[in-house]
Formats: sequence, structure tokens, C-alpha cells
Amino acid sequence: MAGAPPFPQPSGLQAWLLSAEPNSRWQARFGRGYLGWRSFTNNPLAILGLGIVVLLVLVAAFADFIAPYSPVVGGDLRTERLLPPSETFWLGTDDQARDIFSRIVYGSRITLFVVILVSVIATPIGLLVGTVAGYLGGWVDTVLMRITDIFLAFPRLVLALAFVAALGPGIENAVIAIAITSWPPYARIARAETLMIRNSDFIAAVKLQGASTPRIIMGHVVPLCLSSLIVRVTLDMAGIILTAAGLGFLGLGAQPPMPEWGAMVATGRNYLIDQWWVAAMPGIAIFMVSLGFNLLGDGLRDVLDPKAAK
Amino acid sequence: MTKPLLDVEDLRVRFHLRTGTVEAVRGVSFQLGRERLGIVGESGSGKSQTGRAILGLTPPPGEITAKRLAFDGIDLQTASRRTLRDLRGGRISMVMQDPKYSLNPVMTIGEQIIEAYRAHKRAGKAEARDKALAMLEAVKMRDPGRVFSLYPHEVSGGMGQRAMIAMMLVTDPDLLIADEPTSALDVTVSMEVLRILDELVSERGMGLIFISHDLKLVSSFCNRVLVMYAGRVVEELEARHLRDAKHPYTQGLMRCLPTLANDVRPLPTLDRDPSWAQ
Amino acid sequence: MTDPMLDIQNLKVVFGTGRLRVEAVKDVSFQVEAGAAYGLVGESGSGKSTVLRAICGLAPVSGGRVFVDGRDVPTPRDKAFYRTVQMVFQDPYASLHPRHTVDRTLSEPLAIHREKDAETRILQALREVGLGPSFRFRYPHQLSGGQRQRIAIARALILRPKVLLLDEPTSALDASVQAEILNLLDDLRRKMGLTYILVSHDLAVVAHLCERLLVMRHGEAVEETTAAALRSGQASNEYTQSLIDASRGYSREAVQPPPAIAV
Repeated sequence: MAGAPPFPQPSGLQAWLLSAEPNSRWQARFGRGYLGWRSFTNNPLAILGLGIVVLLVLVAAFADFIAPYSPVVGGDLRTERLLPPSETFWLGTDDQARDIFSRIVYGSRITLFVVILVSVIATPIGLLVGTVAGYLGGWVDTVLMRITDIFLAFPRLVLALAFVAALGPGIENAVIAIAITSWPPYARIARAETLMIRNSDFIAAVKLQGASTPRIIMGHVVPLCLSSLIVRVTLDMAGIILTAAGLGFLGLGAQPPMPEWGAMVATGRNYLIDQWWVAAMPGIAIFMVSLGFNLLGDGLRDVLDPKAAK
Repeated sequence: MTKPLLDVEDLRVRFHLRTGTVEAVRGVSFQLGRERLGIVGESGSGKSQTGRAILGLTPPPGEITAKRLAFDGIDLQTASRRTLRDLRGGRISMVMQDPKYSLNPVMTIGEQIIEAYRAHKRAGKAEARDKALAMLEAVKMRDPGRVFSLYPHEVSGGMGQRAMIAMMLVTDPDLLIADEPTSALDVTVSMEVLRILDELVSERGMGLIFISHDLKLVSSFCNRVLVMYAGRVVEELEARHLRDAKHPYTQGLMRCLPTLANDVRPLPTLDRDPSWAQ
Repeated sequence: MTDPMLDIQNLKVVFGTGRLRVEAVKDVSFQVEAGAAYGLVGESGSGKSTVLRAICGLAPVSGGRVFVDGRDVPTPRDKAFYRTVQMVFQDPYASLHPRHTVDRTLSEPLAIHREKDAETRILQALREVGLGPSFRFRYPHQLSGGQRQRIAIARALILRPKVLLLDEPTSALDASVQAEILNLLDDLRRKMGLTYILVSHDLAVVAHLCERLLVMRHGEAVEETTAAALRSGQASNEYTQSLIDASRGYSREAVQPPPAIAV
């Protein structure tokens, strides 16, 4: 754009962001984002949650530099098996003489992989099904929502188990199974939001401009459903991590020797009384990350969800 | 001179928000006898907050201060919660704008009136029921017995608002605060509601605070009018002298309305002078 | 003789079926010449807004015909129709998308109709409704009610329609802002030769903006009259007369209107 302003001095950055008269699309967007960020940072627990999630991402990204040992190849089985936490092995070692800390560090990659893939698959499906059903109504709504109900009727872990059993065990299949079982709630939320939006004047106004149905759904309905969906997905992350861990625990998710947290807990089960750290350490990791996502979700809801915000 | 029913001096309502403190009402003073007082202003003028503050209904982050806020000699600022609870709905009542939101949707209209009555008066069920039916009749319901057993969603807006008035007046309050009681209603219906309000207020000798954005309506209904702008009273005058208003804001409000009587084109608009808010 | 810009013949609108069947509009007919302003007056439930919605396709036309600019309007309405007829809604707080900037709101109709020069046309549209370019990238929450309604008017005018349907355009606004919007609408009509259909419950507003008007009640046309007749207080119909009286403010002596309240 010709009239784009030169980037202002840092001292004026806040003024630029909070300007009531933005000069460009980007300034308006940044200003809006900045206001959201300001109200987000007012919630210390949300910041803690964000911190944990950011830490997870960093650990996953720099696992090669952080982990002192290999996550897969163990040490001397005679001397380094099932050692308690010490200075050499911070969180102890497991039955294969592998360093638990290193395994947890590498395991964060798997957790992140699951979380990202599930949200990338499930969110758009839920969003699309929900908004289309809600906006079009009639028989489309009936058909789509009954399908959603069928998926909703199954307990998530059981359905995921069935899928994994059909597709064969493995982390990718576990992700697909979890994604398939987690979209129905999103579809319900998106539909409920759409039902509120579709009779509003601003949708009538864009209809009267001659906009096509896909255009109205994608450009006008979806953006309004998105924020509550993001909140819900973030809050669901904990559940997704737990389901993935559960599948791992049952031996249907990640296969050995992959350092998946749930599978690690499963191995530790045999030594629970005498070598508690084998199961407890990955358990704590699962707990921390789930908590982080939950706190982040709560914070996001305060910022993004207009109904809860005021 | 007789003691005023309501004595308000230097009433202020502040909202402490993260972005700073907003003063919605900035030093409002007035006295009210057994008369009808109109409070007029545009949105954001603080007229509704003034009415709520008297009843202590200011929403949470708000803070009320006043040099004096006394109802019939009772200091509302220092009164105990118990006293306030007895006053509210007992001797002071409030009618809100939209009956849809102020009536309980899962109780019949009759039950709600009975409950309002028994919350403040010692009365047996039968007596309360008679009182409620009498009240429904007083607000000109054509078939009080039937309306008694209807749920709020089963009645029209005008009937809902009349039921609301019946509920608010069943305890024989001394002061009624009506916040835009007719703006959600059609003109002909709102005239009926006003007529009922008019009769009841006159018969029972109540004090009435009538809060509205409609200058024309207030001036035709009330004895005295307070004109509010930006949280302050800019002018106080007798309703029948409204045409001789001194303040440019009041004059501007009067002139910018299109009327059937004369065709002014373009309509004069209001140039807001920052000094009005001082 | 020239064709009227808008010709409504025996319009009927029915919602629902069976026991839930509601006849919202019963046999309403009127004509509006190009460049004229026509008012629809009535209380809630009179069907006045439904007439507007039926014209632009937001409510079903169950009977009768609607001609716009000599053309029988198709169902569903086509793009040519939307270029001719646009609408301004009652509540400016509900008619703008809360997550779209003014720029996005105004560029949407241009994008839908593949118009060029979006840049200049948006700035021009803002100018026409008395707003400067500084408003272009604001979100609705950064605007006052009056400014929002101006944006809604700009959005309706950006496709250069011939007919503007106005659904209570000032009833959600303060009196002083109402005056500004009424003046703006008056101006725009003269400058652009627009045809207006104004729906309002406020007789004074209708008389100010329109030459002719139709009083409606319970979905039926009660009386067609002129602004001049209203001003002189001449109404042949009792109901119209009660509306005129009510618009003058509260009066203890006023005649009791015919009972309007039904359960």
C-alpha cells in the first residue's frame, strides 16, 4: 500500500497499536491482537499455561541438544538398569537402562506431533460440518447431525481402539483414530454458534449483496465460530494427550522403542512399587503438559469468547 | 416545608476498569417529593445509572458515593443490608425497560406477584392471591383470573409490562423508579401503560422517577424534568416550561426531533459543546 | 406513462404451515415512482418489516407479485436485483460483522460483484456518508451508533442501487444522531435520485422523509395517505388518528385507542 506508515519508534509502538484510527489493515489487526494479548497477560495462570506449552515446543525443537543420552539405545544392562534419579541420570533409568530424562525430552516430539496433527485434522472437519449444518438447516442439518451423534455416542477411547485394531497399531493410526473421534463436539459447538449467527442482520446484509452460500459460510460465519472452537480445542488437548497416552499404555499407539509417554508409563507399571520413578516421571510430564493446555485454554477463553469475556 | 421523600446530594457512580476509572454519574443532586420527576438524557448520559444507584443496583465494579442519599429520612448508604432489602421492592420499586427480561420465565405471573407481595408483607396465601388479582385488575387486565395463571412468554409486551407494574406496585411502594418503562412497547400500547401508571401514581400518592430518552414523552407525563448530559444535570425545569429551556443542550434536544407540526429541513443537529460536560 | 420503480401487487407472506401458519402480510399493494420516498407505518406485528423482507427475498412471497424497475423479480433473487435494491437495517450494532473492519465490510459487495477500483470507491463511499478516510480501518466496536449506521448506509450505496429499503434506520439511535442520519438520507436521495421505502413506527420520521405512506395493522393495509395529510392531522381512519395522537406525547385527555392488546 502506498500510504503505509513508516514503522514508528519503539516508544510510539504502543500508541501505534492502540490507535483509534488505524491507517492500514495490518495496523488494525495488530492493534486488535495487542488488546487481546494485554487482557491475556492479565491472567497469571494463563501465562503459566502458555509458558508450559512454549517450553514443550522448545524442548521438542531442541531435543538433540537437551537430551544427554540416546532415547532408544540403553546403557549397560548389568549396571545401569532401573537406577534411581541421580546426578548422572537426572530422572533415573528404565528397565532397558535408558535415561528417562532423555526419553521424556524426545517423547515431547511425539506428544506435540499428536496434538498438532489431531487439531489440524479434527478442527476443520468439525468446523465445516457444524457451520454447514447450522447455516443450511433442513435435511442437510439432520443428516450431518445424526452422523455426528453416532460418533458422539461411542466412548472415545473405545472407538479409537476399534480404529487402531482395524488399521493396525502405530502412532499415525492412533492420531487418525483420535482425530476421527474428536471432531463431533467441535461440530456441535460450531453448529450452535452458527444457529445464533445465521439470523443476524449482518448475515442478512451480506446475503443482500448477492454473496454465495460458501462465501457467507467461509467469510462471515466461520471467523465467528473460530474463536470458541480454538478455546475448546485447546481445552481438549489435555484429553487428546491422555487418549494418546492411553493408547500407548495399551500398546496400540506408539510402538517400542519409541519414547511415547503413555507407553513409558505402561513399562513402569511392572516396577511401580520398588522403582516408582520409571512410571512416575513420564506421568508427571503428561500431567504438566495437560495442565498447561488447560490453563492456556482458560486464558484464551477469557480473551476470545465474547460471552465469557463480559 | 415537608421532608422530601428522596434526598440526593452529589451522587457519583464510578466504575474502576483496567483502563482507568470511568465516572458515569458525576455529582447529581435532587430532591423528590410525592411528585413525578423525569430524568432525560441520551445514551451514556448516566440517567439509568442514577436510577440504579438509588436502589443500590449498580453492577459490580461500580462504586457509589454521595454526600447524602436518604429515603424518607433513612440513610441508604449506612443502612443495614436487612433494611435495604426491606426497602427494595417494598417501599421502593423499579420497573425496567423490557418485561421479557425482568419477569421470571418459569413462574406464572400470578405466582410472581404473590411472591413479591409476601416477601414484604405478612400475609396468608389467600390474602396475597386476592391482592394479586386486585392488582392485575388495577392495571386494566381484561381477564385477571386468566392472566394470573399465564407464563410471561404467553403474554404480549404490553401485558407483560402491565404485569410488571402490577408486581412492582403490589406492595404499595412510596417511590417507583421507572427506567424506560415503555420504550420496548408500541406507541398506542405505551399510551395505555402510561395511563395506568398515571392513575396509580395519582391514586396512591407515590413519588415517581421516570427515566427516559424521550423528552417529548417525559415533558407530557412528569411535573419536573432533570436533563442529564455526560453524568451531570445540566438543567432542571418544570415540565410545562420545557419550551423555554435555557440550556443549549436541552434546546438542541427539543429541536432536533422531527415533528408532525412543522416541517424543518434539514433538521437542526446538536453541536456538542465540551463546556457542557464541565 | 412511465412505469413505477416499485410495484407491489397483492403481496401475501405466509410463514409456517398447518397450526403454526401465520399470515404476516395479507394482500398489500402499493406503487412507488422513481425518486420518491414511500413510508410503511405500523406497530409491531403489523407486517411492515415483513413487506421489506419479502421484497428483497429474506421472506417468502406467498402470493402476489413484486415488480422492480418494470421487472418481475425472480426467486431466488439474482445479482442484478441486488445491484438495484439494497437495504439498511434497524440496529447498527447488529448489522455490521463484529470481526470485520469498515474496509472489509465495504469491499465485500465490490468483491462479490467483481467491481474494480475498490480503493477509490471505498473512500468515495465513506465521503458520501460524511466520514473521513480515518474510519476505513476501524472495527465496529471503535464506532459510535451513528457512525455505524453511516457505514451501513455506505455499504448499501456502494453498488449504486436505485432503491434503498430502510428498516427503522434511526430507531436505535439517540435523538440528535437520528437528526443527522435523517438529514443524510434526505441529502443522498436528492443527490443520487434514489427511491426509498422507509419502515418506521414513528409517524414524525416517516412524515419527514416520505411524501406518501401506507398505514398497516395486523398484516393489512389500513390506509394510504400523504405526509401533508398527516401534518394537517387529517386521517380518515380511526387507527391512523390514534397513532397521530400518540405521536404528540402523553395526554390524559386523549381518546382511548381501540384495544390493541391481544394475548
